Amino acid sequence: MAKRGALGMSRPLLVGVLSLFVLLFVVGFLVGPLGRSMFGDLGLPAWLSLPQPEFKLPAETAFHLFGFPVANSIIGAWITMAVLICLSYLITRRMKVVPGRLQSAFEALLGWLYDLCRRVAGEENGRRFFPIVTTIFLFVAFNAWLSLIPGFGSIMVTTAEGEHVHLLRGANTDINMPLALALISFVFVEYFGLRSLGLRYVGKFFNVNQFFQSIGHIVRGRLRAGLGGIFTGFIHIFVGLLEALSEMVRIVSFTFRLFGNMTAGEMLLLIAAFLVPWVFALPFYGLELLVGFVQALIFGGLTLVFLTLAVTHHGEESA
Amino acid sequence: MSRWMAALRLVGVGFFIGSSIVLGVAAGLWLDSRLNTGPAIAIVGLFLGIAVAFYGVYRMLIPLMKNKKNGESD
Repeated sequence: MAKRGALGMSRPLLVGVLSLFVLLFVVGFLVGPLGRSMFGDLGLPAWLSLPQPEFKLPAETAFHLFGFPVANSIIGAWITMAVLICLSYLITRRMKVVPGRLQSAFEALLGWLYDLCRRVAGEENGRRFFPIVTTIFLFVAFNAWLSLIPGFGSIMVTTAEGEHVHLLRGANTDINMPLALALISFVFVEYFGLRSLGLRYVGKFFNVNQFFQSIGHIVRGRLRAGLGGIFTGFIHIFVGLLEALSEMVRIVSFTFRLFGNMTAGEMLLLIAAFLVPWVFALPFYGLELLVGFVQALIFGGLTLVFLTLAVTHHGEESA
Repeated sequence: MSRWMAALRLVGVGFFIGSSIVLGVAAGLWLDSRLNTGPAIAIVGLFLGIAVAFYGVYRMLIPLMKNKKNGESD
């Protein structure tokens, strides 16, 4: 039996694979725009290099369904949903006490997320927030990973107008999808805040108690306490305004973080593959896998944090 | 306060600052172009954006600072 080297390959095989990689890299470098600008045109065949990538920020309409335009990014979202639904059906159809490979992988992932929710939000709230956070996490992560599958961005269709467009596109590279996710997260935050704190939650944004109290003081003749109180009351109202505004800004920051990271990743891969064709883009693929996971974690985790903030009373927290 | 909560809060800070300021200025510029009021509202928007940024960051970081004071890091 041959001696096993790194990556479970025998040594001659490893050397062969590595030298193939280096060869591909050198040829790619020479044939790509980067190498050509350094060493000039070496007369290598043109099919070795890639055409310059075009990236359109708004998603393109792939086809029309019952008169509605269907953008390529929403097809990506549907595929993500289909994959997630199929996966969960396959996993939960025959659950075993001693889980198989797929089941245990998902159990580990969900268990970890569940643990995270409970640790951040506490036992009871963690259980309530877990479905929302996990749904967002799974959707963002799978969407990012699916759009990294080779061929995802290569399928072209011709639209009714005769344009060639991509059939598929990562849903989060279209700003509407991150915005929708951010709005969903926002609605859940407000819902849970209202449900668990009731009127006190609204009081966070319209903090007029102190103001009216001090007006009451003035009316009853206690001028000194009243005037000081009115000043604090104004500050409270202003802070409430800032609180409301920061809630709005949160939606925008959620949206642009996800959209920016996903779109930049896609562009990075395209540009890397264009500048030095073939194996050069490989490390960036690894990077994008990580970015997809991290962005999913951030989106889900921040939703979790803001949910937790919404259900804790202002006074409790700063006390 | 778990470590995770701290990490997640810190992660949210950067984009929050950026977007609150940009949003304030953008809204101010839009209103300015609508009302023909020169840069006045844009400047107000800038300061409001900065105020929101400070306040939001303060709110996100209070628990961390409080934690440190009590010396009970988790």
